[in-house]
Amino acid sequence: MKTPLLEIEDLCARVADKEIIKGFNLTINEGEVHAIMGPNGAGKSTLSHVLCGKPGYEITSGTVRYKGKNLLAMAPEERAREGIFLIMQYPVEIPGVPVTTFLKHAVNAIRQHRHEPELDTMEFIKLLREEGKKLGINPDMLKRPINVGFSGGEKKRLEALQLAILKPQFSILDEADSGLDVDAMKVVAEAINAERTEHNAMLVITHYQRLLKDIVPDYVHIYADGHIVASGNKDLALEVEEQGYAQFLKEK
Amino acid sequence: MGELVQKVELMGSDLPWLEGLREKGAVFFEKQGLPTAKTEAWKYTRPRDLLADDFILPPLEEEKENACTCGEHCTCGHHQREGEDFLLQAYVIDFENGALEHIAHNLPRGVTIKPLIEAIYEDDGIRKYLNKSFDMEKNPFAALNTAYLEQGLFITIEKNVMLDKPLALVHHSFSCHENLMFHLRNVILLEEGAKAEIVEYYNYSGNEKSRYFTNIVNELYIGRHAELNHYKFQDEAFKAVHIAYNAVKVKGEGRYNGFCLQRGGNLARNETHVSLTEERAEAEINAAYIMNGWAVIDTTTDVEHLAPYTKSTQLVKGVVGGQAKGVFQGKIHIAPMAIKTEGAQLHKALLLTDEAEIDVKPELEIYNDDVKCSHGAASGELDADQLFYMRSRGIGEEEAKQILVDAYLQDVLEKINNQDIKDWLAAKAKLAK
Repeated sequence: MKTPLLEIEDLCARVADKEIIKGFNLTINEGEVHAIMGPNGAGKSTLSHVLCGKPGYEITSGTVRYKGKNLLAMAPEERAREGIFLIMQYPVEIPGVPVTTFLKHAVNAIRQHRHEPELDTMEFIKLLREEGKKLGINPDMLKRPINVGFSGGEKKRLEALQLAILKPQFSILDEADSGLDVDAMKVVAEAINAERTEHNAMLVITHYQRLLKDIVPDYVHIYADGHIVASGNKDLALEVEEQGYAQFLKEK
Repeated sequence: MGELVQKVELMGSDLPWLEGLREKGAVFFEKQGLPTAKTEAWKYTRPRDLLADDFILPPLEEEKENACTCGEHCTCGHHQREGEDFLLQAYVIDFENGALEHIAHNLPRGVTIKPLIEAIYEDDGIRKYLNKSFDMEKNPFAALNTAYLEQGLFITIEKNVMLDKPLALVHHSFSCHENLMFHLRNVILLEEGAKAEIVEYYNYSGNEKSRYFTNIVNELYIGRHAELNHYKFQDEAFKAVHIAYNAVKVKGEGRYNGFCLQRGGNLARNETHVSLTEERAEAEINAAYIMNGWAVIDTTTDVEHLAPYTKSTQLVKGVVGGQAKGVFQGKIHIAPMAIKTEGAQLHKALLLTDEAEIDVKPELEIYNDDVKCSHGAASGELDADQLFYMRSRGIGEEEAKQILVDAYLQDVLEKINNQDIKDWLAAKAKLAK
């Protein structure tokens, strides 16, 4: 018996006056990894932003249920506390706020929500160092302001570190491989794969198939013009790799 | 409507020179009146409520017990909140409603703190300094303060004495059925080579809705090679009016280092005039303000470079929420003979709402070419992407804003040399009280 984690029905959303998501349907069950592939400009990032509650998008119709609750009524922080996590394509730089300070606030906000005791500074630093080590993150990097002066690889490692310590149930990876070289990709993918369990689920958004070699999905969906135009298993990604997106766009 | 100049019996009325000075203060105040929109120095900050509020001086000592008539089941707020004590290591001087309550014992050798009126009676040197550092004709509130000259301190730090702990002037204010006004005068003298830290802390006890009017004039004289670190935290009740005037005279190679955090009051102004009177005198004036609601908080500075090789820097940063208004007026004056001087001034503000406002007026008056002088002003808003990034990691919106505000104020708080005071003020510079 599969337990649905995220149920998106007939979702339509727009930015200003432009319709970006048009009648999007998808159900993701616990334990599943879904990949969404699509050409640039199809609105893939918009989908990830809408699911995380980024301001600036207007939902014109449809519903999204997460663990049976109305996701669209929740503030971004509530979604995060309920276990939704977004690895951003372009992580934001925040001058003046050290990584450690920021992560301590985040970890404790989420622990408080789960009725777990807050971590004291020593426990927190220990956790951060251990998880950071696995990702090849230098302790000095944790003292620096969030993403300021970080290379593309360092930014993604920091995103992966957050994934590892915030322990979300549903992760969205928005072009997680952009800005990464092959070696860094391996490390980040390993951290992501470590979070795959029978209860956790993931949505991997990507333009290229290469990421899906490291993070192998259970299902692949082709996304174009605001909705899913084809679905299949991981072989569908290979098909795209060989033949491009044109065939799916024509079918429409 | 009440008048601010009232006939009251003050201590020292048997001293003709003092009575004469008070009278002069009253005359100069009445000549100028309360500032209006046409008063250039008060263009953005109009002390509108002062006449409507019928302020009176606090009752005399013997009547004090009757100040709050509510008794045990107080409804007026007098007993609602204990004033917050100053908890850091310091020589503490306590005031309640503008009246001196207590001076720390065990002051180090070479440090004298006297009630102002006592110093006046003893006439042991204070007349050389009292009312000598500013012009009553141009400062209505300093003139009004002179009209009520009585409360305050005369502090002397003798030659080459270095204080091991700060002097903390802690003010607890409240008002009951009547709206009270307090006029305080501190004359502080650092002799040659002396070094001291002074903290002024204004906070309320009783009801947060207390209406009162605090009017402070500090006359600070810094001798040759002397150094004064002057910290202030203004956290008055939210309907209070707080007007402070700091007149600072710095002699050769002396140094004034001021930092003021303002968070309270309905209308508050901290004005600092520094005169660098001899070669290589230096001043640093830094300030931060954080506000909400309908408050107006004003930071006004005026630095006069009157001698060669003098130097001044200023960094003022504000965070303005609600429908509040932040005001910064900063003037740098460089006299013709003050060659090789350096003056730098920067004001920055973060506006949290569309209704929040800032008014900034920098003024440079430079009368010679051989100087380095700069000023700048910038304002901005919280970055929506940064806020979203933090919220997407589970951090609540208000907490996320506070983290960004902390980051914003960090550089100005870093200007505080004393680590304990820095930590204390950093913990107080919050959006929510």
